[in-house]
Amino acid sequence: MNEYLKRLLEAKQLGMISFGRDWAIDEIDQSAKTILASVDQSLSDRRLLAIFPELIGSESYVGEILDEKKSDLKLDYINRTDLNGDLKFLNLIILPGDRPNFGLLVLEDVTEQALALQQINQQKYELFLYQHNSEFRRHFLSDSILGDSLAIRDLRETIQKVSRIPTTTVLLMGETGSGKNLAARVIHYSSMPDDAPFVEINCAALPEHLLESELFGYEKGAFTHAVAQRQGLLEEAQGGTIFLDEIGELPINMQAKLLHVLETKKFRRLGSNQTIHVQSRIISATNRDLQQEVNRKKFREDLFYRLNVVSVSLPPLREMGEDIITIATHLLKIFNIEFKKTVSGFSDNAKQAMLSYSWPGNVRELSNCLERAMIFIEKDRIDARDLTFFQAPSPQTAPAYQDWTVPSNGIVLEEVERQLIISALKLARNNKSKAARLLGLTRDTLRYRLEKHQLE
Amino acid sequence: MKKALVIKKKICLIGSFAVGKTSLIEQFVYNRFDESYLTTIGVKISQKILPPTEDHQSGRTIQHTFLIWDIAGLEKFDHMTLNYFRGAAGALAVADLTRQDTIEELHKYCDKFLTVNSSANLVIIGNKIDIFHEDQQIISELSKVAEHFSTDFLLTSAKSGERVEHAFLMLSKKIGNSS
Repeated sequence: MNEYLKRLLEAKQLGMISFGRDWAIDEIDQSAKTILASVDQSLSDRRLLAIFPELIGSESYVGEILDEKKSDLKLDYINRTDLNGDLKFLNLIILPGDRPNFGLLVLEDVTEQALALQQINQQKYELFLYQHNSEFRRHFLSDSILGDSLAIRDLRETIQKVSRIPTTTVLLMGETGSGKNLAARVIHYSSMPDDAPFVEINCAALPEHLLESELFGYEKGAFTHAVAQRQGLLEEAQGGTIFLDEIGELPINMQAKLLHVLETKKFRRLGSNQTIHVQSRIISATNRDLQQEVNRKKFREDLFYRLNVVSVSLPPLREMGEDIITIATHLLKIFNIEFKKTVSGFSDNAKQAMLSYSWPGNVRELSNCLERAMIFIEKDRIDARDLTFFQAPSPQTAPAYQDWTVPSNGIVLEEVERQLIISALKLARNNKSKAARLLGLTRDTLRYRLEKHQLE
Repeated sequence: MKKALVIKKKICLIGSFAVGKTSLIEQFVYNRFDESYLTTIGVKISQKILPPTEDHQSGRTIQHTFLIWDIAGLEKFDHMTLNYFRGAAGALAVADLTRQDTIEELHKYCDKFLTVNSSANLVIIGNKIDIFHEDQQIISELSKVAEHFSTDFLLTSAKSGERVEHAFLMLSKKIGNSS
């Protein structure tokens, strides 16, 4: 091959393979060997079609290139997998060779360019699908509930099912900070048209008389300060969702009024005779045990059953095992953007501290804890010392180890470890994440030790 | 006993982005499905050996091997992208049953494909039947496309695997009958 062409291809890091009409490889340069080695392509078969099955079907066309009846054949972004299982992309071009009956295949590794294009297309297509396809939107939004624990997978599935029926009343139950608000928004945005309103009211935040006028609205002159007519939140939510947060705090009189709305799907503004039909989904949320409140006569039983058509329980963070780290990593990305920092992750002891803590304030507390750490951090990774917890660490992290002594006849340390793992599993009812936390281990480490002791 | 005749055929999956072309191949070749959507760039080839069939005329067993080209949903067709189609014996032209625009786009994809391979076979696929709420208008549109290209259409779910193998075998049969 022409020496200048060789040097040019080498300078541009393009691989070159010269081949004959029978597809047998005649010459292959070092760049081509390097590219093919990077995609785990064996060169034991010296036929080009075995290395590039993408050329099957184009045999006669390539024959015409060799006869110089056609100028070239280009195939861009052919996909390969490298030794780590990651995608690589190659561009191929076949040209006539410098001798009769020979062709030249020029090969380029364009992985970087292809991945950038993939990222752009991914965003473009996801945005298009989000805007135009309710099924995709539903799926996309349910992915915003992070985690892979059984509890979270169940939650995602329930929310997806609920989202398909936009009229069903939903009751969200979970501790404070467990993501009830997010769940309500996911249900709304994945089940309603783009322009449908999402109206939120915190039942604990307003006194009873204000709550009533906020919910139902009023006519001018309905009460002393009613100087103009005003629409209530129920009306504002027409065609969308009204989210009643902290429903357990709703005063008993208001409970009767809300029950009437739920039963009749009608209400009136304060001071009005005109009936307005309610056409919105009602989602309510509480951190109380409403059944217990019913038993204590603090919450109307009939309203409880009206609201509890579909109930969705949100798991507390402490029961989500390794998902805590997934959520923390997601929050870290957000704070990196917000605070213009480049913190890469968590040290093992920071992960362990997060897994051991009980998180009474759930995701909200985790978010605050990380925000504080991110404000002050000046290094690459968050360490346990950077995390401030408002409650003392869980008791299992600080037992009185100093009281433990080896008996005079000695022990078999391996056996002690084995028994402690069995005990932790019993205590955690076979939940490996919980057992790992009890032992101060990560789930992966516990898995390794279970294998070691043949306890799987 | 006569040795089975091994025939390698190139087939393409064509259609708009995110209609489930990659998922159909993943389901057919590897029996797996991934919920997450990752857009395809360029072309990826998979291979699948089909169950042997007997040729009634020669009495010979024929073993078809499909080289399946998963081709990215293209926004424009230039000379280079048409190279992807070259030498294909057939194509599954895939639309998403929940997106009407992808059915309309099938005309463009099938026309371009047949420009390069005039005697190739087509089967029209309406994918995502698992989330499709029966809509006669959509079915009718799909049927019209199939009629226009003188072929059949099939509703599939790459997620559940419903009729996925059937779709590939239908194409194989069409290719077998025409060769």
